[in-house]
Amino acid sequence: MTALLEKSSTLHWLGRQLFNRDDPAAFFDPLLERINPMWVQQYTPARVAAIFNETSDTKTFVLAPAGRWKGFEAGQHVNIGVEVDGVRRNRTFSLSSSPLQWRADGKATLTIKRLPGGLVTNWMHDHLEPGAVVGLGEAFGDFRIPDPQEPALYIAGGSGITPVLSQLETMAASGYRAPITLLYYVRTQADVIAAEKLRALAVRWPAFTLKIFTTNESEPQLLCEKHLGDVPGLPARRCYLCGPKGLMDLANDLLYRRGIAEDRVHSTFFSAPAANLDTSTLGGAVRFERSDLDVSSEGDAVLLEIAEAAKLSPRYGCRMGICHQCSCRKTSGTVVNRLTGKASGPGDETIQLCISVPSGPVSIDI
Amino acid sequence: MKTMNETQLKELEQDLDTIRDQVIADLGERDARYIRKIVRLHRSLEVGGRALMPLGFIPPVFIAATTALGLSKIIENMEIGHNVMHGQYDWMNDPSLHSQTYEWDTACSGDSWRRTHNYEHHTYTNIIGKDRDYGYALLRLSDDDKWKPAHSLQFMNYVLLSVFFQWGVGLHELEFERLRRREISVREKIPFLKEFFRKGGRQAFKDYVFFPLVTFPVAPVVLAGNIGANLIRNLWSSTVIFCGHFTQDAETFSEEECEGESKGHWYLRQLTGSSNFTGGKWVHVLSGHLSYQVEHHIFPDLPAHRYPEISEQVQAVCQKHGIPYNTGTFAKQYSTVLKRIIGYSLPDRMRSRLLPEFSNPAPQS
Repeated sequence: MTALLEKSSTLHWLGRQLFNRDDPAAFFDPLLERINPMWVQQYTPARVAAIFNETSDTKTFVLAPAGRWKGFEAGQHVNIGVEVDGVRRNRTFSLSSSPLQWRADGKATLTIKRLPGGLVTNWMHDHLEPGAVVGLGEAFGDFRIPDPQEPALYIAGGSGITPVLSQLETMAASGYRAPITLLYYVRTQADVIAAEKLRALAVRWPAFTLKIFTTNESEPQLLCEKHLGDVPGLPARRCYLCGPKGLMDLANDLLYRRGIAEDRVHSTFFSAPAANLDTSTLGGAVRFERSDLDVSSEGDAVLLEIAEAAKLSPRYGCRMGICHQCSCRKTSGTVVNRLTGKASGPGDETIQLCISVPSGPVSIDI
Repeated sequence: MKTMNETQLKELEQDLDTIRDQVIADLGERDARYIRKIVRLHRSLEVGGRALMPLGFIPPVFIAATTALGLSKIIENMEIGHNVMHGQYDWMNDPSLHSQTYEWDTACSGDSWRRTHNYEHHTYTNIIGKDRDYGYALLRLSDDDKWKPAHSLQFMNYVLLSVFFQWGVGLHELEFERLRRREISVREKIPFLKEFFRKGGRQAFKDYVFFPLVTFPVAPVVLAGNIGANLIRNLWSSTVIFCGHFTQDAETFSEEECEGESKGHWYLRQLTGSSNFTGGKWVHVLSGHLSYQVEHHIFPDLPAHRYPEISEQVQAVCQKHGIPYNTGTFAKQYSTVLKRIIGYSLPDRMRSRLLPEFSNPAPQS
């Protein structure tokens, strides 16, 4: 019912006058949330329908998003919002299921591995239960299935398999006939994510060749010239890479040496950088998004000074961390609070420019 | 003001920072639950008050609806809006509770408030000439202004300011006194005036046009109830705010003594320039915990419901450094505010005869 406030422009205008907010429908959220969290308007809610284990450190979360979620294409990512100890945390994950399944039963899955020391992934593993509601952003990303059909090679490592799973399932279900090969690198056989699903695909989908390599078992099988050499018709294939940085760099290098054009190689991967509290790592590349400006910083210069040195004039007040006039959104990267010496999380959140020192690359919404 | 050397000020700063760090390290679920509970209470009161108002031709319903709407505005302005705009809940990363985008249910726009209150008042607290909240450029509340005959009417001005408080606050940034002295021109204030008419107009439209019109047959009742609710909020918030800095022992400062001040000196000024009042739990909630004005002024961006919890620690720090901690019952504190307003409306000689506690130098209590 409150969704009407967003749909009709007259009602939306009226809502803004009456409730003093640009998202008037969300005014009633605190009450609606108590009745049914799926009625919340401020973000798109998604109910956790089921959770199952893939490996010892990877789980698949089956989500049932609210009807207004616009869906996705195979290989895209979404931002997930969860509340951990009172703080809303947003993180990006790849969808691991096929959009065809979402169209059929309204469900989409995320396959998430615990990151050592990761705040959100560990919380999701330990505390998220079926029936809970999380926030779900609209899908984005241009890691897409080749259209029209052409032969493809997938090179995936560890949890980098998730967007690939989504694409393989979609291609299999739509009767994709061009040859597809997946080279999947995992530590041990026990680390293979969605093993049954992959093997079932290999059996019922003739165009698909599955090769799993273990890097930490008796005989380490690292990506090498030979693995690529065994892929038939490699020069004609479109290549998709998803995995840890080391694997992606190596794959890029090998493909380059085989003369595969750069525009036929697509990579994607999301991972949170390990928390780094070492103060010697202060400074970094700063991107001011709205001003479309990139600068670099060194030492313990605060973002407010960095912005001003770059001829920007963000709003500020006391310049000592009291008045919050300079609070704004950090969209990515880590900053260190100059007053407390504490590092922030890597995601989208509010920071005070006058006391925040970049620690590595940072993007700010000013 | 109590004088302290830089070493003592540094120690004061460290003592207070310790309290602050403890609270910040402990922020979490409990604070999020608290503010969400208050937001739910606000929504329930506002929805309930507006829904009941058309039945206000029944006198008890009129009283209930007006009270509910008045309380909803008080809670929204004091415990939610004021505190959220200070950044007390920014750490929650909830866009609905974000300091820079929050817009509250009163004539003053959030942006204007963030400039005049968060920045000017909280940075330059009680510095005569820099903190325009001290007397709102309307009342003479210290010896720093020379007495003029016009001041003898200031009690009436005070009553008018309280009755129309939301409009006074809304127009604060116009700097009418500087316009009159021709220090600034109206032209410079055009962007502010546009903002004021947009936000003030929106508030007047809502309470005095839209809701009476949609309940047309009972429009006068709804209009009267909405006026009543705004009046309740105006009188209460004005009273609470006046108790924060204008009590008998709340000190004022000169620009010279604050030039290039350290964080420790800023703390000292906040401690000696602010005053608390005591009361039950709901008095604190309805005042937005400005009943803990001292704690609020040293830690404006800590969630306000934490102030009662740290009050004893703050008092211990004050005692250790020999700094007065200004508190008392609501009746006692407010009576000294009224005495100050009346006292400074009188010529100096008459004031020192009638109200010696406000004569210079003020006797230390």
